[in-house]
Amino acid sequence: MITNEKINSFIEKIPPAPKALQVTIMLLNNGELTKAAQIAETDLALKSYLKSIVNKPIYGFRNEVSEVSQIFGILGVSSSQQTVYNYMITLLSPDEWSLFKLNATIFHELQARLSRKWKTILNHLDINDMDIESAITLLPASIIVADSLFGEKKNDVNLIRTTSDIDLNTILSRLCDNDLFDICEKISLKWEMPPKIAQIIQASSGNKPNDDDSINNLGKWMHLLLFYELSQPIFIDSELNDFIDFNIAYVNDIYEDFATLMEIS
Amino acid sequence: MRAIVKDGIGVFTPQGFLDGDNSNAFVSIDDIEATLKLNVDMILVSLKKVIFFNRNGLDIFVKLFQKIKVNTNAKVGFCDYDLKKFNAINNFYKDEVSFSLFSSYQVATLFATNLKNKQQNVLLFNLDKSQRSAMAIELHDGGHNPIIAQTEEEFKKKKNLEKTYDIIIENTYLGQMGQNVATRVTGNAIIYTISAFLDAEIGNKFNIAYHNNSLNVGFRLFIFDAYKVISMNIHALNFFARLSTSAAEYNATICFVGLTFEKIQLSFKDTLEDAGIMFFDQMDDILENKKLLEELGASSAANGKLKRVLNKTIVTELPQFIEATVATIEMMTNSKALKDAAKIDKIVVNDTTDKIASSIGFYGDIDGMVILVFPKIIAKKACHLLVGEETDDIEQILDTLAELVNIVGGKIKTLLSNENINVNITLPRTYNKIDSLLETTQNRKGVQVDLSFSDDKFLFFLTR
Repeated sequence: MITNEKINSFIEKIPPAPKALQVTIMLLNNGELTKAAQIAETDLALKSYLKSIVNKPIYGFRNEVSEVSQIFGILGVSSSQQTVYNYMITLLSPDEWSLFKLNATIFHELQARLSRKWKTILNHLDINDMDIESAITLLPASIIVADSLFGEKKNDVNLIRTTSDIDLNTILSRLCDNDLFDICEKISLKWEMPPKIAQIIQASSGNKPNDDDSINNLGKWMHLLLFYELSQPIFIDSELNDFIDFNIAYVNDIYEDFATLMEIS
Repeated sequence: MRAIVKDGIGVFTPQGFLDGDNSNAFVSIDDIEATLKLNVDMILVSLKKVIFFNRNGLDIFVKLFQKIKVNTNAKVGFCDYDLKKFNAINNFYKDEVSFSLFSSYQVATLFATNLKNKQQNVLLFNLDKSQRSAMAIELHDGGHNPIIAQTEEEFKKKKNLEKTYDIIIENTYLGQMGQNVATRVTGNAIIYTISAFLDAEIGNKFNIAYHNNSLNVGFRLFIFDAYKVISMNIHALNFFARLSTSAAEYNATICFVGLTFEKIQLSFKDTLEDAGIMFFDQMDDILENKKLLEELGASSAANGKLKRVLNKTIVTELPQFIEATVATIEMMTNSKALKDAAKIDKIVVNDTTDKIASSIGFYGDIDGMVILVFPKIIAKKACHLLVGEETDDIEQILDTLAELVNIVGGKIKTLLSNENINVNITLPRTYNKIDSLLETTQNRKGVQVDLSFSDDKFLFFLTR
């Protein structure tokens, strides 16, 4: 059974963000890159994550970057904060995935791709806002939540989904009046992430448009970006393509712009 | 990717972008084979959640379609697209479209072999005259009323007439069709459509497993719509005679409607009548005559094949069946089950008020039938999960119930398969009234397990 008690228990088990992370983010918020790097160096897991993610091909660095100060220096304040938030999200991910055919490497790849392309989109939209840039980091949390809640019920869920065109988000919402994105919002509250992040994430679900046009527009771009990435073979093989519904009607008005930006032909 | 399988149609629904790099990842030949094992006779790729595709992306599906057609009679194609996508597909393939195109899933169901749709008034238009005719023939064989618009202008005019047509078909193309005997269900009667010259091929085109399982789940009247039969030879005659003899074991009746003996030897009619087959001129002679329907067994499903008893193999699997059922209903209703009692006897339903039921048969290495008796409130909860709202519409509740039982059946099939026991499952049957269920199961012994879901009494019955 998937109940609200189970959801609450999941949220309660989320530890507060580690002290070093909190301080790193606060310093990045203040634009103090050097000090932030010094603190980040003390968290070996964070350091290792930062190294592994920025050296992925999608970041496009010719030589290996190994020092946190170097990484923060190259990324700049906004992207550094985004990357630290990405790390925070990985703290929630399971050691072994049960619903999806995922592992840490593939999950980090998804984070990296979403983050870099989100940055490209924000540049295209001429938006320079640290919180908005970091909003994308919360999106993969929906995958972690889905795996955690549905993993034990994988066979039952798969059977239901062989007879009915129903996504995990809808199942959860109908069972508990809470969907994956509501739970992501709760995570963001627990970690004291800026409220704008949760608003954009809710809009990016594709079925909860925001009254604020600018937030809603960002939700559309994020929704489309998510499915652009979930259409990549690596993520289809991970069984991520249909964990939530793609709402074509929601993104129709920005599609041409998106296709041009991503050079889709 | 898993296909959604419903009413004999398997649908793959990729999301996002389709190109030559990723289409292979969406649907593999293994996915297709797994779907075909579920007795589907139509495999479709839905484009409703695809925002971009190119020729390379579709080519991979088209190659899969070709492989399916080589090995099976299943119909294949794309569905759920708008005009822009339809034009793009036609532009890619021009005169070499070897698959079907259905503008929506609903349109596709009209052309499926095992369809549950009631008779529909269908307005159709296609610029290609041969396509128009092919569609009309298929629809008519499926028991629908096709109305063909001969020109685009006529189509536009008719299309705007409100509530005149149940379904409107446009932007649709039929690939290879008409391979199997079309089947439809009307009430408790099953209607098969046969046509042209009937010979030994009827044995290949007729789905005998489906027929046998329809008998097992309680159908007692089988009507062959034979208006378009020109003639038959001795092989077809023997086939129908054998079919009727085996149906007699279940007290089932086989009828022919509209068969003329202008080009068929009259002695064939005697042979068929001796085998128990009845002949009628018009379909309405049966379907509109309630008294006759009752006599022929279509309003009741009593007197099944006698002495079908449980065996050890099936009882050994019982805990798994119950576990499968309980887990599924717990999941769908978000309530916890408690087992109250278990016994081996004839089914007993103490209080039939506000109860509905559904059954599903399985056959193969072992045969059996699972019957579930639900309080309506549990079915309504399941409705909420699958449909998104609680409803009092009994048709919708029964449809949901059928889906739920189908899920249970699928799970039983998987559980047995883990034990190296291979079975197939039948289409689910639903009962609005417990009385008609009791007629189906009378004299059958089985294992009855009484369960409670949040104080709502629920009954599981396993029989052969």
